[in-house]
This record gives sequence, structure tokens and C-alpha cells, in this order.
Amino acid sequence: MADFDSAGAMARSEARSLAAFMAAGSESARLWRPEELAAIFRHQMAAPALVDLAGFDPATAERLKTLTSAQNLLLTSFRDLFLHAVPPVELLELTKDFAKANMDQADSALPNDVAAALYYISIASALARLDRRISRLNDAELRKGFSWARERAWVDEKTRQLLGEAMQKISSGDPTT
Amino acid sequence: MAQTVETDTARLDRLIQTYWTPLKIFFLATFPSLREQADTFLQEFAEDKVLKKGWLQRADRSRGKFRDFLKTSLRNFVLDRLSRAEVRHAPVSLDELDREFPAAEEASNEFDLTWVKTLLAETLRRMEADCKDPAQEQPRRTRIWEMFRIRLLEPMFNDAPPVPYDELIGRFDLKSPTDASNMLLTGKRMFKAHLGRVIKEYAEQDAATAAEIQELEKFLGRLAGGK
Repeated sequence: MADFDSAGAMARSEARSLAAFMAAGSESARLWRPEELAAIFRHQMAAPALVDLAGFDPATAERLKTLTSAQNLLLTSFRDLFLHAVPPVELLELTKDFAKANMDQADSALPNDVAAALYYISIASALARLDRRISRLNDAELRKGFSWARERAWVDEKTRQLLGEAMQKISSGDPTT
Repeated sequence: MAQTVETDTARLDRLIQTYWTPLKIFFLATFPSLREQADTFLQEFAEDKVLKKGWLQRADRSRGKFRDFLKTSLRNFVLDRLSRAEVRHAPVSLDELDREFPAAEEASNEFDLTWVKTLLAETLRRMEADCKDPAQEQPRRTRIWEMFRIRLLEPMFNDAPPVPYDELIGRFDLKSPTDASNMLLTGKRMFKAHLGRVIKEYAEQDAATAAEIQELEKFLGRLAGGK
């Protein structure tokens, strides 16, 4: 592990670097660069759902374990959850809530765009796979959100297809939804 | 009471030791013709003023920053000594010193900039020691320092190229982006907490500490903007 010479680095720094450091060191400052979104999204989609969703509260964490065990989904990633033929709706709702809790928050653990994408993808999965609505957003709002997510360059092709299927469900005016 | 006085003295002594460099820089910028006697004057200032009972009590926090009080106190101390002709080498007249005063703002800026550098170096030193403390939760705390170092310190101060996010996953065994973000956020919170502690050693009160952080940020912003 390399050392950092704090005294030396500060001594030779100019005001500009020090000012930038104080700003970057603030909790409200952006954690990740825009060019890192693709890698972060990939990582999020590959992450075990249990790891992030279990952070809500003990009761939810326990319920989550029961759900994923019952469905043999203990090691399931978010991607596997979204693209599952019959994803557990409760898991999709938890994911939606997790994503929403991380949207538009200065100290969020997720970049806003990744949280927003996760939000719409979880809603799309419920719609496309289960014909269920897990959101109170109207058709126009859903269409806008799905479209936005599909247009992200860092969203993979299968997820893009899922969003497309969900958009078709809205367009078709499927009475079951 | 005696114990309080002793605690104040020890604390002030430590402050003087920590901020010796900015004090010297201010002295040299304000009294360049007294360069050869800088350490002597500063030592006497510390012994005869700062560490004497009552000096700190005269620092009225409601009337200004501790740093400004320190500068004023040092400047007045030197002027007082000079006016009493206690200089051993060729004396400098106060008229000559008057001609140096237009540079007062520059001397003040140099002092404040060096003060900030000293402050930040001390903060980072303490944060690193805290993170690497074997009595703390390891290896997580050391990893927090590492993340803080490679994401913030190295790119900012050593022009290091950014470490790709994918590499961070392997290096820190990150389960998810939340894991990565929490690690970095924790580092920032630790930095902020240590910064507050270092400043509070001279600002003394929480409100004054918060105000000092804002002042320092404004000062750096002003210098950085060239205003």
C-alpha cells in the first residue's frame, strides 16, 4: 500500500488545488464521474439483490431472506431478478423503493441516473413479466421514464428489450394492467 | 483553576508548535528586514505573550478570527519590542517599517494560506493514523483510507490518473456500487470530523469551528479565483 505524504503534498499545493480538494471532500460533492456510469450500472446489475435491499430494516431483511430462499434466488443478481420469467413482485417493489430512496439525494449511495434507471427497470419488469403495476405513475409518465432509461448508452441490450416490452404493454392498453 | 491554566498552556504550546511555519511566514513577510532574527522573535512571542496567562482570554471570539488575533498580536509584539529598542543587530526604524505595511494584505494572505496547508496536513495525518489504527475495525478502516487516497488525494495533489471503477471492485472486494459509495462517503465524513477537531483546538466553540471552515473555504476560493 503506497504512502501519501500529506505534509509534502499540502506544502507544495496552490490555492486552486486546496480549494478543489475542500469542495470535493464535501459529502454533497459528486462521488463518481459521468464516464464511470457504465461500469457502475454493470456492477449494480450484477450485484446480489440481498446485499443492497437488506439495508432497509431488520424486518425487511428477514422477509427478503425468506423470499429469496423460497424462490432459490439467494445469489440472484438484480439482472437475474429483472429478467426472470416470473420475478417475485415483492422483490421488485423493494428494488423500486431502494432505487427511489437513492434518487435526487445529495448523499445518495448511487449516482442519480443509475438509481433512476433501476427504478424504471423494476417497474418495467413487473409490467412486462407479471402484468402488474407496482407504481402510481400514469402511462405518460411511465412511457417517458422507460424511454429515458432505454436511451442510456450504458443500459445493456436485454434490459433495453425488457423496457421495450413494458412500453408495449402500456401502448396496447392491456386491460390486465 | 491551576489545572485549567496548565491545560491552556499545554494546548497553546502545541498550537504554536503546529502553526510555527505560518507564523514565521507572516513574520518574514511583515518584517523582511528582521529575517535573521525571526526565530528569536517568534520564540519570545511564544514565551512572553502566547503562553502567558491571560493572553488567550483577550482573544474575543465575537470580534474576529483567532488567526487574525494571532497575527495582530505578533505584529504588535514585534513593534513594541522594536520601539523599546531591544533589537541586538542594526535597528530598523519604524519609518522603514511603515514602508513595508502596504504589503500587509499580502503577508496576511501568505499566513492564511500556510495556515490552511498546515491545518489540512495535520487533519490528513490524523485521519490516516485513525484509519490504520489496529484497534479499529480492520481491514475496513484501512480500506477507507485507501479509497480516499486514490479517489481524492492522489488525483488532486499528485496528478495521478483516475483508477477505473472496475479496478476498484477487485481492489476493495466491493459487493455493489452502494458498498463503494459508502466507503468513499465514510472517508469524507471522517475527514470532515478530523478537520473539525483540528480547528476546534483553536476555535474552541462549535459555531466558531463551523464559521472558520466556511471562512477558509471562502479564502481559498478567493485566492484560487485570483480575486
